[in-house]
Amino acid sequence: MSKGFSILVDTSKCTACRGCQIACKQWNQLPATETKQWGSYQNPQDLNADTWKVVRFADGLDASGKVYWNFFSDQCRHCMSPGCMAESEKGEIIQNEQTGAVIFTPKTKELNFKATLEGCPYNIPRQDPKTKVMFKCTMCFDRITNNQIPACVKSCPTGAMVFGERDKILDLTKKRVDELKKSFPEAKALNADEVRVIFVVKGDPKKYYEFAAGK
Amino acid sequence: MSVTRREFFLVSGLVGAGVALSSLGIDMGPAKAYAAELKIDKMKTAKASTSVCAYCSVGCGLIVSTDAKTGKIINIEGDSDHPINEGALCAKGAALFQTTAANPNRLTKVLYRAPYSDKWQEKSWDWAIAEIAKKVKATRDADFVEKNEKGEIVNRVNSIAHLGSSNIDNEEVAALNTLVRSLGLVYIDHQARI
Amino acid sequence: MTNHYIDIKNSDCILVMGSNAAENHPISMKWVIKAKEAGAKIISVDPRFTRTSSVADFYTALRSGTDIAFLGGMIYYILDKNKYFKDYVENYTNASYIVGEKFDFKDGLFSGYNPDTRKYDAKNWAFKRDDKGVPIKDPTFQNPRCVLQLLKQHYSRYTPEKVSQITGTPVEDLLKVYEMYSSTGVKDKAGTVLYALGWTHHTVGTENIRASAIMQLLLGNIGIAGGGINALRGQPNVQGSTDGCLLFHLLPGYLKVPRASQQTLESYLKGNTPTTAETQSANWWQNYPKYAVSLLKYLYGEKANKGNDFGYSWLPKAEDGKTYSWLDIFDEMYAGKMKGMFVFSQNPAGSSPNVNKVVAGMAKLDWLVHTNIFNNETASFWHGPGMDPKKIKTEVFLLPASCSVEKEGSLSNSGRLSQWRYKAADGPGDTISDGEMISRIVLKLKELYSKDKGKCPEAILNIRWELLDAKKKFDSHKMAKETNGYFLADKTLKDPTGKDIEFKKGSLVPSFAYLQADGSTSCGNWLYCGSYTKDSKDGNLMARRGKEDPTGLGLFPNWAWCWPVNRRVLYNRASCDPTGKPWNPNRVLVEWKDGKWVGDIPDGPWPPMSDKEKGKLPFIMKPDGVAFLYGPGLADGPFPEHYEPVESPLPKNLMSAQMNNPVIKIFKSDLDKFASNDPNFHIVCSTNTITEHWCSGSFTRWQPWLLEAQPELFVEMSPALAQEKGIKNGERVVVSSIRGQVECAAMVTPRMRPFKIDGKTVHQVAMPFAFGWLFPKTGKDATTNLLTPGVGDANTMCPEYKGFMVNVKKA
Repeated sequence: MSKGFSILVDTSKCTACRGCQIACKQWNQLPATETKQWGSYQNPQDLNADTWKVVRFADGLDASGKVYWNFFSDQCRHCMSPGCMAESEKGEIIQNEQTGAVIFTPKTKELNFKATLEGCPYNIPRQDPKTKVMFKCTMCFDRITNNQIPACVKSCPTGAMVFGERDKILDLTKKRVDELKKSFPEAKALNADEVRVIFVVKGDPKKYYEFAAGK
Repeated sequence: MSVTRREFFLVSGLVGAGVALSSLGIDMGPAKAYAAELKIDKMKTAKASTSVCAYCSVGCGLIVSTDAKTGKIINIEGDSDHPINEGALCAKGAALFQTTAANPNRLTKVLYRAPYSDKWQEKSWDWAIAEIAKKVKATRDADFVEKNEKGEIVNRVNSIAHLGSSNIDNEEVAALNTLVRSLGLVYIDHQARI
Repeated sequence: MTNHYIDIKNSDCILVMGSNAAENHPISMKWVIKAKEAGAKIISVDPRFTRTSSVADFYTALRSGTDIAFLGGMIYYILDKNKYFKDYVENYTNASYIVGEKFDFKDGLFSGYNPDTRKYDAKNWAFKRDDKGVPIKDPTFQNPRCVLQLLKQHYSRYTPEKVSQITGTPVEDLLKVYEMYSSTGVKDKAGTVLYALGWTHHTVGTENIRASAIMQLLLGNIGIAGGGINALRGQPNVQGSTDGCLLFHLLPGYLKVPRASQQTLESYLKGNTPTTAETQSANWWQNYPKYAVSLLKYLYGEKANKGNDFGYSWLPKAEDGKTYSWLDIFDEMYAGKMKGMFVFSQNPAGSSPNVNKVVAGMAKLDWLVHTNIFNNETASFWHGPGMDPKKIKTEVFLLPASCSVEKEGSLSNSGRLSQWRYKAADGPGDTISDGEMISRIVLKLKELYSKDKGKCPEAILNIRWELLDAKKKFDSHKMAKETNGYFLADKTLKDPTGKDIEFKKGSLVPSFAYLQADGSTSCGNWLYCGSYTKDSKDGNLMARRGKEDPTGLGLFPNWAWCWPVNRRVLYNRASCDPTGKPWNPNRVLVEWKDGKWVGDIPDGPWPPMSDKEKGKLPFIMKPDGVAFLYGPGLADGPFPEHYEPVESPLPKNLMSAQMNNPVIKIFKSDLDKFASNDPNFHIVCSTNTITEHWCSGSFTRWQPWLLEAQPELFVEMSPALAQEKGIKNGERVVVSSIRGQVECAAMVTPRMRPFKIDGKTVHQVAMPFAFGWLFPKTGKDATTNLLTPGVGDANTMCPEYKGFMVNVKKA
């Protein structure tokens, strides 16, 4: 595996503008799903075959009674050793050499969805109920192989998402965690060695999303 | 309007600019987002126009891509050269594509609702402009106030109101202002008030 | 904005109050976060913990409608703890001015109040002046009648304890904010204020902003990089359309609308051109006649000449002292006095307060002309909830408009930056631009009036309309050039250095400094003079894309064009001491160097004010050249004072015997009902905008991606209130006010908390107003503005959408 690319998602800078969620739909021309107001800003409630990026909203009170509102711009982590690929024997799922992007091809309809989903620590793969084809983030494979950064990263106003060569992103991640630790001693990067899409959180990842750091 | 690209951040060596996906051994097939002709390939020949976002007043820059073959807008994303947004867009800005002709909900015809009617009728522009001008003139001429109670010349119309708009261009604002003042309107307001 | 979006990065402390920048101006946060990375502190003050609060260094809540109390406490803290920037305050504000004997303040009322007319006589608030008219000053600030002493006296009542009692903000939180923010009252620190509709949507809206202006002036934060008072405005061209003055009280360029008593051009100009006896004041508005006559020449061309007062009589005259605002329009309409209405690109049936009155009014119209890119509740009001089309006579013309990327033209952002955008494609079907529609209507009216004269036909026939391109379509370039202005005769004028400079008839005016009052120039809006300076397209400075940033402060002087004269920060000479040396050598906005100003375009070419002969004071738009701590020009008093919203949870104003702003206009129709201190409506409610929708949602609800992200109306409430009412998160609830009710989903969240006000628990809820009955179809009316009161600010008539009273029940 070449060094490839990585994406840093620094949740401490995220303001949940949801530019990334919509930019993903816009670039990939994904249709909207029908949603309802369920007592949260988070909609669609979850990833689905037409939603490959969703900003998760989690509010609550911390130990000192202070309010927090955490945002988690969820997407495929493009794992270094993708668990979803365990079932893939005939190129249904591809891990691209040059970029490191993990890509679901139309052949994923041949795979067992449940097993594929279970193989993913981050609860990412989704299946189109009609065609049985599975979908998720492609790391904007078409863009990154054509001199353009992923649509979600480009849309990010605050620098909460940064795309680049993996070693540089790892350096940046370390720098950000060190910086954040000054104010948030529990700040950490989530599974940086295992994933290409590296989330940095200010504290307990469960306070962002159940599977933020994996199942 | 020269558009330069400085998309890459933290990237020095690229995979190779403009690589066809097939040459990388990727068969995307007919999956959604990868129709017969890839959007990324259309983008290479598309006309790029700069624009400014149509929502809040930050004034973010946009690049609008118009397909060379069909003349239709195929993509709208942030303008990386723009000093305010540097390519970024929020949810609304990122969705701006859905304000274009691609959205079947757009109004495309002049619609007219007659008195006491329960439906819209489609009309031509010529008919609508002539009818509107006729009604404006009739109301204006009927209600024109040359002098107020004190006998001061006021040359105004109190029975026609105007609202709008902070959502049209400066040149349109100027044209509209000229129209409403020439009519003698005084009930003139727009979204800045609310 | 006095400053601009990128400039936020230069700040040391950012007070986001009356604004929720992260949700409503998301990309502004790019620069907020940049400032934070450089060490700035972000303070979020909001009744609700928002997406902005989530990235703030400090958050605290206040009850809606109590900002003046909060800021009044800050003003007192700054004065009491000597945190103010003395050199700045002494030189650049009216702190040292002596106020006349007639000014007084007693128990919530300033002197000069007439309870019958509900108006003040502002003559009582005048400064003391010498026999030449120069204000008398005490630079030592010892005189008890000097502004600084009166200010201190006024706000000494705003103790942290008293403020806390009113706002519900804990005392320690108040002190924390006061301490953090007042730390910018030194030479090398900048504090900025980001505000929006959270401050304007009150019956004391203007005074909210005045309070922040006083705070900023005391701290020396106006005119400097990273400072200012920055209105984050809500629509793409609300700045440009305000500059263009589609407003009842103003003509383009903030010129005043002629009033009936001003029967001649001379009396109009005399009434609006300020004079000053202050020798060091530039008094820029002394140029008023040049801008007014150039506007008349734009309107009427050769038909306007000295002999006919440049066509002044053709302009409509409003009654003296009368308002013709949004709220007045719908009041008149509901009273049956309006016959027709134009509504361009907006949705008053969703965005107006007290929507029941709005639609009842529209049902009384003969005709309604509406332009938009999608259908909405305004165009379709005749088949809305409670409407019987068979009984409504109103004819409606719904005209399909081009969207923003289907036409060419300029728009101005909050930072006064006018940017050109291009047409990327034709619109669908029969869509045309609003400009083209307006042009067709004007040309048709001219045709009708030339055939059948009707009333005052000159007003229509004499307006110039040389705005069509080769294809006979509205040409935005031609209009932009008319707005910039032309020389109508060969002219020799002096440049700023005193040299002769020649201009040819038919050439574009390069700057408003060259506009004339003798009819030799035309100009559609003096503020935009200098935006389009050559006939060729490269003369369009609004289309520039230069990326240079010579100061490193993010001014980008060659990117597009900014009014006035491409000045990026207003009052920028106040960033220097009286000798022209920057207060802060690390952020040099302008500097007096080798006999000239360098950096941003300065507020005028004059030397700094230490040059007693030629130097000028920095606040050039004020007659006396200094900024107003004491502001005798507003309707409701020279100092901001806390009054309760028209609908309040309290039986009395804890600050004085005067419950509400004493000079607001109260409409009397049967649909103008209010419920204050009423047990049936005991919960404070404020409306707000959300990132995923725009204003009333009339564009964004029709877009599947945005509707997917925010599909339905909701009300945010605290767990404590939800428990009290037996409501669970996500359940359907009914929110009602005395004016109407809506059904929506409950969002129960710890981000909302009850307030302790004067020992009593007061709940507050929040609702977006981006939904309606037309689309998406839910079978229910989701128009939040059915609830809101139709009452406005004393100065602006901006409605009180923030802080009215409701009840919430399970549906």
